[in-house]
Amino acid sequence: MFMSPSLFVMLMLMVFPLLTSVWLSMHFITFRNINEPVFVGLTNYVEVFSDLKFWSAFTFTMTYIAIAVPMQIFTGFLIAVLLDQISRRVRGIYIAAFLMPFIVVPIVGTLMVKQLFESGGLVNWAYREIVGARFILTEQSVKSLILLYALWAGTPFSLIVFFAGLQTLPQELVEASMIDGATRLRQIRHIMLPHLRSLFVFIFLISIMDAYRVFDSVFVLTEQNPVYKAEVMMLYTFRTAMSVTRLGKANAMSVITVVMILVVLLPFLYRTYKEQIEER
Amino acid sequence: MKRIENRYVLAVIYLILTLYACFSVLPFFWTTLQSFKTPRQANARVPLFIFEPTAKNYTELWLKSVPDDPVLVTLVLLAIFGLLSLIAANAKRIPVSRGYVYLAVLAIGFFVLLQIPTFVRTERFYNYFINTIIVTAGTICISISIGCLAGYGLARYTGLAGVIILVVALGFRSLPGLSYILPYWWFGQHSGLYDTHILLIITLVAINQPFTIWMLRSFFMNIPKEIEESAMVDGANRLTAFISVIIPIMWPGIVSTALFTLLLAYSDFLLVRILTQSNWTLTVAISKYAGGEDPGHITLAAAAAVSAAIPIIIVVFIFQGQLVKGLTSGAVKG
Repeated sequence: MFMSPSLFVMLMLMVFPLLTSVWLSMHFITFRNINEPVFVGLTNYVEVFSDLKFWSAFTFTMTYIAIAVPMQIFTGFLIAVLLDQISRRVRGIYIAAFLMPFIVVPIVGTLMVKQLFESGGLVNWAYREIVGARFILTEQSVKSLILLYALWAGTPFSLIVFFAGLQTLPQELVEASMIDGATRLRQIRHIMLPHLRSLFVFIFLISIMDAYRVFDSVFVLTEQNPVYKAEVMMLYTFRTAMSVTRLGKANAMSVITVVMILVVLLPFLYRTYKEQIEER
Repeated sequence: MKRIENRYVLAVIYLILTLYACFSVLPFFWTTLQSFKTPRQANARVPLFIFEPTAKNYTELWLKSVPDDPVLVTLVLLAIFGLLSLIAANAKRIPVSRGYVYLAVLAIGFFVLLQIPTFVRTERFYNYFINTIIVTAGTICISISIGCLAGYGLARYTGLAGVIILVVALGFRSLPGLSYILPYWWFGQHSGLYDTHILLIITLVAINQPFTIWMLRSFFMNIPKEIEESAMVDGANRLTAFISVIIPIMWPGIVSTALFTLLLAYSDFLLVRILTQSNWTLTVAISKYAGGEDPGHITLAAAAAVSAAIPIIIVVFIFQGQLVKGLTSGAVKG
């Protein structure tokens, strides 16, 4: 009874759109014939799979996930462990500084990072001084910029979660291991890592999902400098829908994306299901 | 872990942390600096750190013409909002239900914001700011009200259907927004809701609903059943018990969830970009400043970015305890 409003919202506004998306993906629609879509069956899907730009976007998305996620998790973990070592009094200041990229919204954050690389920017100047050439946006440099932004903006989340996890580390175990003469590295290996195992899984999953649907930063960094090879899947779908106005094809792409994500997600969903069943 | 006592190792740790903190803060520092420069200073060959600051970028962004007594206007507005945030931060000490306090503060603040254009000639950027507030506030109110009901229901009801709803919601949460938005765009075009706040609010509520439910549920789970049971023994039905007994002790959880909903609604770019044509929110508006050919665009973009960041930083500063609590509570337990 209590759930009905929320259930209604989710059914009407999530399940129904997804079905519409599947329906739209089987039609040829542009802005011109928006009221009378033409049924074309699976043609859109065939077109997507034979589209080189789609594959290049797909490759870059996968590269992005493969590089950004481990980078974020590793840095977050490292900084969290180090943060755990320093005195409580100064921690607050560090945490406030670390959280800044997390708080500002992605668009603003990207604009701010971009400011450093503008022609009068700080990094641009340093680059000129050290390398001797102007910093220009090429395919490679845009891609590195996107990854750098991912490190800057994505690390705070894993950092804070790991740090909170470290606070719940069972002290008796640590003390017992010290009495047994365990070195610090072994403590990390045998106490800390097992304790944080579920957190690693959690952050890993969230980060992959976030990396998969990255849009804002790539949009800002590639706009005005159309380096299309640095596009990710969401951005290519967006451009297909809004600039090329091939709505049917864009919907086909988004259906493909949903299926891909669900394949990755299903084991995790199943695990959550089991946990919840046991918990009740 | 036991603290390291070796002084040199500790120094290295501090050095690494400080470097990383600089890395985190550097873009803010530099953008703020740039936003107070003239285009000429901002494009200087060697970056300027000491210069005569100018507020021209901000006035150009926000105002059509500068009012006659800018200092007075700013001071009055600062006083009003300072007072309001003081009241909000100390809501639990006021002997009225916290919900009313927050509502009153929001209503007064919003009213003042709407009245500003009557005595200061504002630029369109200000309208985008108002749009953002309307959309964000609307999303938070609707999302939290229905999310509370559902979260409470799911925390107490333990049947199989509840588990399935939770898992499906988690699945929805993981899908990219774009897969919902394209159909919405299509609906919007057909129903005439395209480019309205209503459509934005509806979609934002829907997209954030799974997250809201999960988070609120985890807070409701911490409230012992006996509390509403004792109220129900006294003759209240479940709904009255929920409203009069559970909600008042849930405020920390609600504020925490509302804060995350705010961050999500405020930051949403893709959805607003697709579903609006002119009724933009701040995020879409500032993305327009991202590129541009004229040399002034760097400083203007910097001012726009700082302007969009400040409201969110203020809100987070007021409710910072709740943010960290929210970040850690849901995650660490799961």
